[in-house]
Amino acid sequence: MTARRVGPVVCLGCGCACDDIGVELTGDRITAADRACALGRSWFGDGQLPARILVKGSEATLAIAVARAAELLQGGPGLVYLVPGLGTEAQRAAIAVADAAGARLDSVTSATGAPSIVAGQRRGRATATLGEIRRRADLIVYWGVDPAERYPRYRERYTRAEAAIVAVDIGRMRGPPDASERIGVPAEREAAALGVMRAAVLGRKLPDLPSAVAAAAALAERMMRGRYVSIVHDAEAEGEVDPQRAEGLIGLAHALNVPTRCALTTLRGGGNRSGADAAMTWQTGYPFAVDFSLGIPRYRPDEPAAGVAAAAASVLVAGDVTAVPSSIASALTGRLAIIGPRASEGAKAEVAIDTGMAGIHEGGTAYRLDDVPLPLTPLLSHPRTAVSVLEAVGRAFAQRAVSQ
Amino acid sequence: MSSERLRIAGGQLHDPANGIDGEVRDICIENGRVVESLPPGAPTLDVRGMVVMPGGVDIHSHFASSSCNHARRLIPEEHAAEPAHRPALFDGEGLPRSGSGGTVPSTFTTGYRYAGLGYTTVFDAAVAPVMARHSHAEMDDTPCVDAGFFALLGNDEYLLRQIDAGERERARDYVAWMLGATGAYAVKVVNPGGVEAWKSGQRNLNDLDRPLEGRRATARAILETLVDAVNALQLPHATHIHCNNLGQPGNSATTLATMRALAGRRAHLTHLQFHCYGGPDGTGWGSAAARVMEYVNAHPEVSTDVGQVMFGPACTITADGPVEFLLWQSSGRKWVNIDIELETGCGIVPYSYKEKAAVSALQWGVGLELFLLSKDPWRVVLSTDHPNGGSFMSYPQLIQLLMDRSVRDEALKRVNQKLLAGSALLDGLTREYTLNEIAIVTRAGPARLLGLAHKGQLGTGADADVTVYARNADIAQMFSTPRYVVKSGRVVVEEGQLRRAPKGGRLRVQPGYDDAALTDIRRYFAESSTIQFENYPVRNLPGDPR
Repeated sequence: MTARRVGPVVCLGCGCACDDIGVELTGDRITAADRACALGRSWFGDGQLPARILVKGSEATLAIAVARAAELLQGGPGLVYLVPGLGTEAQRAAIAVADAAGARLDSVTSATGAPSIVAGQRRGRATATLGEIRRRADLIVYWGVDPAERYPRYRERYTRAEAAIVAVDIGRMRGPPDASERIGVPAEREAAALGVMRAAVLGRKLPDLPSAVAAAAALAERMMRGRYVSIVHDAEAEGEVDPQRAEGLIGLAHALNVPTRCALTTLRGGGNRSGADAAMTWQTGYPFAVDFSLGIPRYRPDEPAAGVAAAAASVLVAGDVTAVPSSIASALTGRLAIIGPRASEGAKAEVAIDTGMAGIHEGGTAYRLDDVPLPLTPLLSHPRTAVSVLEAVGRAFAQRAVSQ
Repeated sequence: MSSERLRIAGGQLHDPANGIDGEVRDICIENGRVVESLPPGAPTLDVRGMVVMPGGVDIHSHFASSSCNHARRLIPEEHAAEPAHRPALFDGEGLPRSGSGGTVPSTFTTGYRYAGLGYTTVFDAAVAPVMARHSHAEMDDTPCVDAGFFALLGNDEYLLRQIDAGERERARDYVAWMLGATGAYAVKVVNPGGVEAWKSGQRNLNDLDRPLEGRRATARAILETLVDAVNALQLPHATHIHCNNLGQPGNSATTLATMRALAGRRAHLTHLQFHCYGGPDGTGWGSAAARVMEYVNAHPEVSTDVGQVMFGPACTITADGPVEFLLWQSSGRKWVNIDIELETGCGIVPYSYKEKAAVSALQWGVGLELFLLSKDPWRVVLSTDHPNGGSFMSYPQLIQLLMDRSVRDEALKRVNQKLLAGSALLDGLTREYTLNEIAIVTRAGPARLLGLAHKGQLGTGADADVTVYARNADIAQMFSTPRYVVKSGRVVVEEGQLRRAPKGGRLRVQPGYDDAALTDIRRYFAESSTIQFENYPVRNLPGDPR
């Protein structure tokens, strides 16, 4: 069988959204993904996805399954939960469903990137798109993160080889092993270190500092001498993260823009997470944790997402069900509809409608972790797109509204 | 087909583009266009005694861009204070959407609110080309209005390289390619060279002839290159220029120098109010409105929108990164800065203009002076630079200030007088705008400046975008609650209520260029961009280019 090549296309294996991937297709399978990292190759896989429509475990027509999904959400306090694997067009359609249903609306952001977003809402943020980092940053400070682990091509694609690399190890969260400079900050001293760094940048007189924090103050002085400083942290760092980290980093980056230029980069995982934040923001005003139960969007960032999931009598999961965070998956006890890639593999679903995967079977738009929107190219066919099914659920609500 | 016909009967029509000033005329509509006549029995809207105008055209707003969305994200407290319920649309008119208000409303709410004010065409004035895809998506979710955007050029690396190299023709081809690739309508330049200076560490570019560090490009060269490109390409709208030194004391010198640099060339200087400061000697805080407007009045090639400041909350959103840095420093409020690769910047600071604050009062006064000293309303049109000078929702109050001297004089008494010495407002400007002049500055004028022949007028063949106001001695009330609004021939507002929310159209251009230019642009992408050349252009653009 002859292979054909498509590309360059976007990989959504992580938030880097590398758009230089050359894909080899043989028949209806992906047989290679050139330039993709291990994470990317795993994300592309062979492109094979189930294509079933199940209602209570039995095969059903699309029309029946869509009507059941709409019915189910109308039945009580509902939740529409966005997971990776959707293009922004499908995310927009899912948000419309939540609005029509008077449901809660959330995404994996509440369980992954929320502290950075909420801190940004309090203070703002000084940042840059990744190309700007590559072009300008001569000093890059990795704050408790080595991108090689969860963002394998970040440094190759978005930084200059000549840039000086500083690793700040926060407890066991370590920066890149090849950093030219390195400081260690005990996890319990992280907030204090960030405060001292900001004070140093603002030119405040500092008292005698313990050595762990003094090293941070010295790093701040070093950063002030950079021409364009990039601070990189991971919004989705595993393990215990000081809740003050996000705001501390924002304050430091802000302050550094007085003596020099500085941009704070927040790493995010894959599957178009930033797209969900963006679409929710433009449609509702809020990036996650939205409550439509009073017929208007209200923001509920402080409510634990798992508690919201547990309280929902009916849930529509939109996206790749295998990407639902475990804390949320275990809390989902309400009646469940799943629309997205691998929906039929989800346990306990009353309605499961398999669709294609954004960027593999569906075109549209996805956002890089720096909110740059990129085009998605359908590589393989699938009987259904997520956007068409979610729009059909929205139409079912509109028809019900008319008939009532 | 009868449902697509409509006679708007018996209203007093203000259609200045067609020389009609308050005469009683019927407007006949068929299939979304104004037609000469309709057969008897066509559906009729009885608007006797009411004022009929073309739908409003907003030449300069920030309502659908990645920058706006970052601003939306920044102000959840504003959204919480002003949630927006779903409108009561007629059955079968699609899913009505809830949303949120504040200075940067959510997209559906923005569309509903514009329609509710009688505006049917809106342009986003500042879109980073790399973010164009985002603006198209937001516009898809902004119903009721035809929309387009201006692409930010002039701080972009490729253009600067062409200017450094004196490659004006290649620059023109690049401009043409970029507009087509992003689905933009016009070229916008913000603080020419100054945004690149901010990103490179030079911090800003404060005069026209100082080059960017390490390059030959100056603000003057950037302006000349873009204006010549736009005019050579015969684009429908002139280059939309946000001058250097926005908001700075004494900046009128830069503004006048910019206009003189472009003398004889078609150019649109936007939110002029923010660029008209300087005392009698041209420096410091004071009004230079009279000096600047004297130049504008005498030079028909120049057009402008005012960028009026309205007292109350605002959100400053601009590509002018260095300005927002200064505003953050002086205000201590939240601050967003985003350096956007190879192209431009973005700065956001929520703000509030206060009557009792001297600079706010000066800004308010300068805007009104510009309106009242303008001799040609076709070239000096209405904007608040939404939401920078205030929300578009304040247009009715602004119209009242222009039409009702007593309201204006009362307001003038309330404001801080400290910096108003020398303002023509204190000399007792007695002018009151007529309804016809309002029709010019809010629809006919912007449409003409945008080259939208089918909009801003209601002659045969025009787009059937119509607004009907019930007369009211309270001008602000009259303009804030149109009785009827018709979009593309469909009644969207009936008896003051939004009843339909059709999708709007997209306004964009696709100028021609020499294909040979693509080789170099492609090479540049390969060397400099994190985005592959093939993935840069926006695919599946809606509508047909103009």
